[in-house]
Amino acid sequence: MSTQELLRRFHTVAAAPKSQMKKYLEAGEKVVLTAPVYTPEEIIHTMGFVPMGAWGADVPLERSKEYFPAFICSVMQSILDLGMKGVYEGASAIVIPSLCDSLKCLGQNWKYAVPSIPFVPMTYPQNRWGKVGTDFTRAGYERVIADLEKAAGAKFDPAKLSDSIKIYNAHNAVMRKVDEALARHPEITAAQRSDIFKSAFFMKKEEHTVWAEELLAALDAQEPGADKVKVMTTGILCDSPALLEIFDDLGLHIAADDVAAQSRQYRTDCNEDGDPLEALADKFSAMDHCSVLYDPDKKRPHTIVEQAKARGARGVVVVLTKFCDPEEFDYPPIKNACNQAGLAVTLVEVDRQMRNFEQARTALETFRDVLA
Amino acid sequence: MAEEVKKQRTPPDPNSAKYKLGKIAADAYKDAIAAKERGEKVAWVSSNFPVEIPETMGIATVYPENQAAGIAARGAGTRMCEEAEADGYSNDICAYARISMAYAKLKSCPEQDVAMPDVLLCCNNICNCMIKWYENLSRDLSVPLIMLDIPFNPDDEVSDAQVAYVKGQFLDAIKRLEDITGKKWSDEKFQEVMENSCRTSRAWLAATAMARYTPSPFNGFDLLNHMAVMVTARGKPEAAEAMETLLKEYQENHETGKSTFRAEEKYRIMFEGIACWPWLRVTSTGLKGRGINMVTTIYADAFGFDYDSFDNMIRAYCKVPNAINLETARDKRVKLCKDNSVEGLLVHTNRSCKLWSGFMPEMSRQIGAECGIPVVSFDGDQADPRNFSEAQYDTRVQGLAEIMDSRKGGKTA
Repeated sequence: MSTQELLRRFHTVAAAPKSQMKKYLEAGEKVVLTAPVYTPEEIIHTMGFVPMGAWGADVPLERSKEYFPAFICSVMQSILDLGMKGVYEGASAIVIPSLCDSLKCLGQNWKYAVPSIPFVPMTYPQNRWGKVGTDFTRAGYERVIADLEKAAGAKFDPAKLSDSIKIYNAHNAVMRKVDEALARHPEITAAQRSDIFKSAFFMKKEEHTVWAEELLAALDAQEPGADKVKVMTTGILCDSPALLEIFDDLGLHIAADDVAAQSRQYRTDCNEDGDPLEALADKFSAMDHCSVLYDPDKKRPHTIVEQAKARGARGVVVVLTKFCDPEEFDYPPIKNACNQAGLAVTLVEVDRQMRNFEQARTALETFRDVLA
Repeated sequence: MAEEVKKQRTPPDPNSAKYKLGKIAADAYKDAIAAKERGEKVAWVSSNFPVEIPETMGIATVYPENQAAGIAARGAGTRMCEEAEADGYSNDICAYARISMAYAKLKSCPEQDVAMPDVLLCCNNICNCMIKWYENLSRDLSVPLIMLDIPFNPDDEVSDAQVAYVKGQFLDAIKRLEDITGKKWSDEKFQEVMENSCRTSRAWLAATAMARYTPSPFNGFDLLNHMAVMVTARGKPEAAEAMETLLKEYQENHETGKSTFRAEEKYRIMFEGIACWPWLRVTSTGLKGRGINMVTTIYADAFGFDYDSFDNMIRAYCKVPNAINLETARDKRVKLCKDNSVEGLLVHTNRSCKLWSGFMPEMSRQIGAECGIPVVSFDGDQADPRNFSEAQYDTRVQGLAEIMDSRKGGKTA
């Protein structure tokens, strides 16, 4: 299969998650929805479910306003809206972590707005280090297991969890390699890059790993295209086709990202030795550099600068999801860190209901001109 | 031209609860400034961080949320918010946080100056926004941050796992504070603070429960002012004494038919949410002018820290209003409405507070249905005056009054 054919395959899945869910359900599989930003997917996977990311969609909000005020981010709003419209029907449960205030509200609203799909809370600790932190993470996992057993009659077998951990570690590794390879291939468009990451939420990880490996092989065999202006993106989401088209129109090459729905998912592996549930709790304590994870030393801005420099990015595009306060709080430190490092930075505010991207185009055009 | 005749203000009675409570709140700022001048370490503390820790260790404290509320109430909300926005903070971020970040930069605001911190004590049992706010304060001011994570509890009860998690952090926080400040934890002193805190809380609960009488012996807006002492000083003996004075005054008011609500009490409502500090007078007179007394708020319950052991103290901090699920939060409000013969619910949809407002539409629907009362909401903000419309507030309150009136057979308007 050619690179373009492989990319079209990712696009088909990324653009039509509902078809993907239908396919799994028709094959007799059970699907559990996973809300942003992190959930213990390995546990869901080992219990025999297909974890499917529920990060909302670029849809008009119609029903969610019965539950949310207007100043809750469009990611939460659209997840609830899709749930209320029956788009997720057939799912056995939804796991929603309480990593930000809006996610806490999503869980509470979900119980009444979408009663047909059980809400399973995942309460992570923010002081996630040491025994005190990992014990609480483990208690959160045990709660998820018990709820999933109750909701869908599934059974948890600790012995099998190690297999799922290996599958997820393998997927993490291949996604990191894909990210590195994409930095060397400016001919892969921003939209195609997004499809690769986005499709991972709608496929079994073992299947996505195979596709990603095939893509890697194809990229290795292909001569990189002409250089474009390398940039790094950061934010919660960067999957809007209209926004990505602007990157491509302007010749901006996303050479690295710190996007929650993209590379942030694949940074941390789980130890494959020892008690698997304990190892999974340790994995969470090792996760870092994310706006929804307590960062007492505020390392994230520095990490972004270092990564941008390492990849040869000439600037950082902060793709800020409107009303996402964890990201909004991080923006001034990111801006300052970039300024101090002599790295250009620009802010593009987005939401899932955005129809007019002219302001974003103007901002990115100016940014490209500055970099050039 | 006739000279303006200024109304003579009666000097406050130093034995009154109002004087005592006002003095405690004002002294807290002065004490921290004096401690700083003596070379002692000062802590900036988030509102539901266990006061028992700094109080037991004798650490001078400043509460940035109280400071921000004071700054906003004195008219500097826009100026300070814009200062933070100029540095890149979105105007969608909590206005308390924006004011605080601006103060951290300017280190001066005539509307409410405070001692600068040597350590930050953060607790996220009211919101995760706190974490981000204090992370940035720590970075900008180069001071250590101690963050006590009390997670939002999706269940009805506090689990043993949560108590163990919070307890572990609590002990670690004490150790770190000892290292930073050089002050020591004392179990005897803690016992004393715990007793004071419970005594203050019991008096507060009893005083706010006096609203069960009709007419209520107090104007509910009093609670918004007295709350500052509950937030910052409930572990002090003088706070317990002042709250007991407040209770006594409310009892006397009830017995003598008086009230601090200076109008005929035609309707009794519950006010939901943080006060609109920049518009306190407008929101208050908008109710009073129609004979509406806000007899209760969730604050009446929020500071009921009555516990008898270390573990139960931790459980109490795990049950503060913004850390509990919709059902528990709803039931607390339903009880307040029923206990206090509430006839309507006025909800402040607070732009600054995603957690407080994010499931309020559903919760207030359920409260309205359970109590058989009308529910009306208005858009506002706890500290950014730009997010409030006086006209909208007035229209909504008018609507609420009309519904309550029609339920009384149209006899009260």
